[in-house]
Amino acid sequence: MKISLNWLRDFVEIPADTDPQQLAKLFTIHTAEVEGVESQGEAMNKIVVGQIQEIHPHPDADKLRVTKTSIGKETVQIVCGGSNLSEGMYVAVALPGSQVRWHGQGDLITLQETKIRGVESFGMICAGEEIGVDQPTGDPAIEGPNPILDLSALKPTPGTPLAQILGKDDTILTVDNKSLTHRPDLWGHYGIAREVAAITNKHFKAHKSEVTFPTTGTTPDVQVKEKKLCPRYMGVLIENIRIQPSPDWVKKRLHSAGYRSINNIVDATNYVMAEFGQPLHAFDSKKVNTGVIVRTAKKDEKITTLDGVERTLNKDTLVIADHEKPLAIAGIMGGANSEVDDQTTSILIEAANFQPSSIRKTSVKIGLRTEAVQRFEKSLDPHLAEQALHRVCEIILQVSPGATIAGPVTDVRNFKTKVNTITLDIKKLCSKIGKEIAPEEIARLLHTIQFGAEIKGKKIKVTVPTFRPLKDIEIEDDIVEEVARLHGYDNIEPKLPELPIKLPLENRERVQKHVLRRLMSLGLGFSEVYNYSFYSLKDIQKTLLPEELHEKIENFLSEDQTHLRVTLVTNMLKNVAHNLKNFDHFKIYEIGHTYQDLQEYFPIEEKKICGMIVKPKKEGTNVFYDAKGAVEAILGSLRIAGYEMRKGESLCTYAHPNKYSGYFLKKNGEELAKVFEVHPLVLKNFDLEKVSIGCFEINFTRLMQSADRSDMKYKPLPKFPGTTFDISVLVDTKTEVGTLQKAIATTDKQLIKTVELFDIYQGSNIPEGKKSLAFKVVIRADDRTLTEAEMKPVHEKIFASLKNLGGEIRA
Amino acid sequence: MQENLKKIQNQALQEIDQCKDLKSLQDIEVKYLGRKSELTELMHKLKDLSPEEKKVIGPLSNEVKTYIIKKIETTRGALEAQEIEKQLNSELFDITAPGTKYDLGHIHPLSQIQYEVEKIFSDMGFAVMDGPEVESEYYNFEGLNIPGDHPARDMQDTFFVKDKMSDRHGRLVLRTHTSPVQVRTMEKYGAPLRVIVPGRVFRYEATDASHDTTFYQVEGLLIDKNISLAHLKGVMAEFLSRLFGKEVKVRFRPGYFPFVEPGIELDFSCLICNEKGCSVCKRTGWVEFMGAGMVHPNVLKSGGIDPKEYQGWAFGFGLTRLVMMRYGIDDIRLLQSGDLRFLQQF
Repeated sequence: MKISLNWLRDFVEIPADTDPQQLAKLFTIHTAEVEGVESQGEAMNKIVVGQIQEIHPHPDADKLRVTKTSIGKETVQIVCGGSNLSEGMYVAVALPGSQVRWHGQGDLITLQETKIRGVESFGMICAGEEIGVDQPTGDPAIEGPNPILDLSALKPTPGTPLAQILGKDDTILTVDNKSLTHRPDLWGHYGIAREVAAITNKHFKAHKSEVTFPTTGTTPDVQVKEKKLCPRYMGVLIENIRIQPSPDWVKKRLHSAGYRSINNIVDATNYVMAEFGQPLHAFDSKKVNTGVIVRTAKKDEKITTLDGVERTLNKDTLVIADHEKPLAIAGIMGGANSEVDDQTTSILIEAANFQPSSIRKTSVKIGLRTEAVQRFEKSLDPHLAEQALHRVCEIILQVSPGATIAGPVTDVRNFKTKVNTITLDIKKLCSKIGKEIAPEEIARLLHTIQFGAEIKGKKIKVTVPTFRPLKDIEIEDDIVEEVARLHGYDNIEPKLPELPIKLPLENRERVQKHVLRRLMSLGLGFSEVYNYSFYSLKDIQKTLLPEELHEKIENFLSEDQTHLRVTLVTNMLKNVAHNLKNFDHFKIYEIGHTYQDLQEYFPIEEKKICGMIVKPKKEGTNVFYDAKGAVEAILGSLRIAGYEMRKGESLCTYAHPNKYSGYFLKKNGEELAKVFEVHPLVLKNFDLEKVSIGCFEINFTRLMQSADRSDMKYKPLPKFPGTTFDISVLVDTKTEVGTLQKAIATTDKQLIKTVELFDIYQGSNIPEGKKSLAFKVVIRADDRTLTEAEMKPVHEKIFASLKNLGGEIRA
Repeated sequence: MQENLKKIQNQALQEIDQCKDLKSLQDIEVKYLGRKSELTELMHKLKDLSPEEKKVIGPLSNEVKTYIIKKIETTRGALEAQEIEKQLNSELFDITAPGTKYDLGHIHPLSQIQYEVEKIFSDMGFAVMDGPEVESEYYNFEGLNIPGDHPARDMQDTFFVKDKMSDRHGRLVLRTHTSPVQVRTMEKYGAPLRVIVPGRVFRYEATDASHDTTFYQVEGLLIDKNISLAHLKGVMAEFLSRLFGKEVKVRFRPGYFPFVEPGIELDFSCLICNEKGCSVCKRTGWVEFMGAGMVHPNVLKSGGIDPKEYQGWAFGFGLTRLVMMRYGIDDIRLLQSGDLRFLQQF
């Protein structure tokens, strides 16, 4: 919201030497954020009045002319393309160094002394749009594409700064609307001035209306059918109106507050809204049939609003209607059918109060957010309607000479004036702020913002003014805020709380997550990615997933983000595709939530870890084992106990059906992790045919909740040497390594310490359908050095058990 | 014989002294100490001598032998050192060729800063908590004193989950802030309470270089008796100073959030210009950091805590923003791009 410093001066003294930046800072620290401070004069720095003395044709360009222009002390040569130039005309001259917007478009550029088509030009004669100035009032509109601003009507002296003759002596503060969400009283200059008075220790000059209303005459007929939705409706008729442009002082004010000038009546209502924060509406009373009815709309009732849009209303929408048609959507926008136009001679002014939540709901529903909505939805004070109505009449009588108020004000009141008092516990207040503030000081601060404050022992009885609604000031804590901000947050010294030394609640999952990241990244060499929680229906199909497991986003922003992920795999496959442009071997992982819709209200939300090992296809025969090794390293480093690996059981559409295993808890069969190669069809769907991807998914939530951890216990180092021997065995390709390994290990559980596979070979020298496996076996006794005689039977038992499985011992 | 021995010793010494390389030293060793050397032969003859002669010649010949051995060893040491040095001097080595590559991976910058934040608060006795990302309207809004028609809902554009509705909870939403975990934690643990909640949040908002639908926040909550705004200032100044590794000041100004009262915005002193004003802090000397305030009594009540007995504050800041500030990242979307060229920089 734009706030004019000069406008504020109507209600509070702001000394001329006030630094606007300082005032803005003060306001930011005590009340609400000022986002910008703009001095109007500064923008017109180095733009002065000039008078054209001579006009000559340009030797090289038909459309350009060369002028001799007086800029006060001297006369300079300026080249200009304007079509409306004449000798003796007063113009705005932008001198070298000033900033203009070329043809009113693009960024500001800084002018320099230059040659235009070979002719020297000292500055520029400006069109209004190039320096953000409207053609001064009273001049006929000038035809032409870039009419030069004609200042002749103002009879200025050449050389005078333009800002001075246009009265651009104001400073505009831009206040962040969001920081006023709870402060309806600050949605106009009047309320802002009240705050400025409080924080600068100045007297607030309350407005006193000088308008008098006749006690007899025509008075508008108002029926309020929806008393809850319309706590107050005031109306008055004004006759002998003449619609015309507003006088300069109104235009200037509206312009500085960011409003467009329309005509004297509409401007008057906007003026009062910008001043008091109360939206008003003027109906052409001749277009109102009999009287005003405040009611909800009939089903499918239609209205064309002032923005020219036809809108269909529903039964919840509050409208202002006459006896035949809706005239306005209450508190949001007027209708075209009762609009004030050039022919209007009498008007009905509405100053009303509407229920905030109903205004808000309607505004959201019809997608129309106006200045009025922004104010009404924040709980305006019903008393404000009266003040604003008086003020707008006062202004209309000034801007439309001859206008007369037709009769008394109609005032339908459906609210009670209730004095809001709150008891403040002084000790509690100080304890919340963290500083001792004397009761007298608290009372004084409250008085500055027109709160009543009466000290009663350890309490203060606070009376809240009506312009601060209940939504804003309702409880003791709201008063604490007023006192704290007025006292100044800067005056609160930082302190560390004196709290007992206490170990925080343990969150093992959090701690382990960071441990895991270090292991994954710094140990196993994976890089961590983050992906969105969404993907598209197309992604679901590409990953062969069932759509029904997914939560869908109702108001998605793009077609790529319509469903919540049930697996991290999908988006990571997209990462793989993206990174293949720059890398051919890489390992990535993600730790994130997945959400599965099992038709309950809340989805099953779990934390997962997904890792991918990506290699070019020809080097990728081992990616499954790469992933398997990674999972086992992770489970090992977390000291997870009591699990086993077997063929994958749960439905996993994106896993290669044969290269898929699961890790399960022995005690309850819960699945902790999956290891797999990505299904070739899925690879194809993501254009990843040239790579092999080994993948694992760990259910981290389950791992942390269900899995047991092994105790770490020291084992004495072996006292006696062991021996290592290698066995190479030829077996059927169908025979699994795990079976053989287990067979070897169990032949003598006492003496066989480890069995490791160190080679798998298929190819030349090996018969079709067979493979050669080589194991390294360590044999050792804990209490003695084994003799040859003792070892031999162990070897033989191993050979025998391998032969039993169809193996042929090779060495 | 005595003289003979002396002669041998002198001759050997002379030759050893003149010796210039290991090979000739080896020859000298053979010549004087070898089986066929004069000295060995001489020592063989000892047995033929008279006992008196033996007494003299025996020790003398041993002395000579030991002396030569020592001399040879010393010289060998010196020659070996010379040889190594010579070799070293003649070797060429390019230290600028690259080192062996170790395949280290990278931890995402968000995870790294999150860890730092958790560590600092954890050291101050705060527990680290979690909550669901898909949240109910109740926890995301009503429980935090933001009823359905509250204008503050505009401040947080919300993603809704389709077809999910509950009488108690309202619609299902993607949480717009980490604040729902305030109520959840209060319900679970009661007061006193000292927690932070880092986590992913979502906003229904058009994406550009500084806005994304997904980002990270850290929520903080301290509930006890007599907890004040002064403590918030103290704790945050401590936290930021530790995080940035230099003294940081904090400033409060009024701010509005329905779940706190008083509500404040917290700025910290610009680290670039030390409050003098620069482009980073938009010439104000202060950098906007977070919203905070004293927990609204209605929120305490939602969490089952008696506002008459307990009070405290809550805050929420953008972890994503902190990461972008720390590393000078100019496009928020890079964080969720999965692009290794970006990730490998951390």
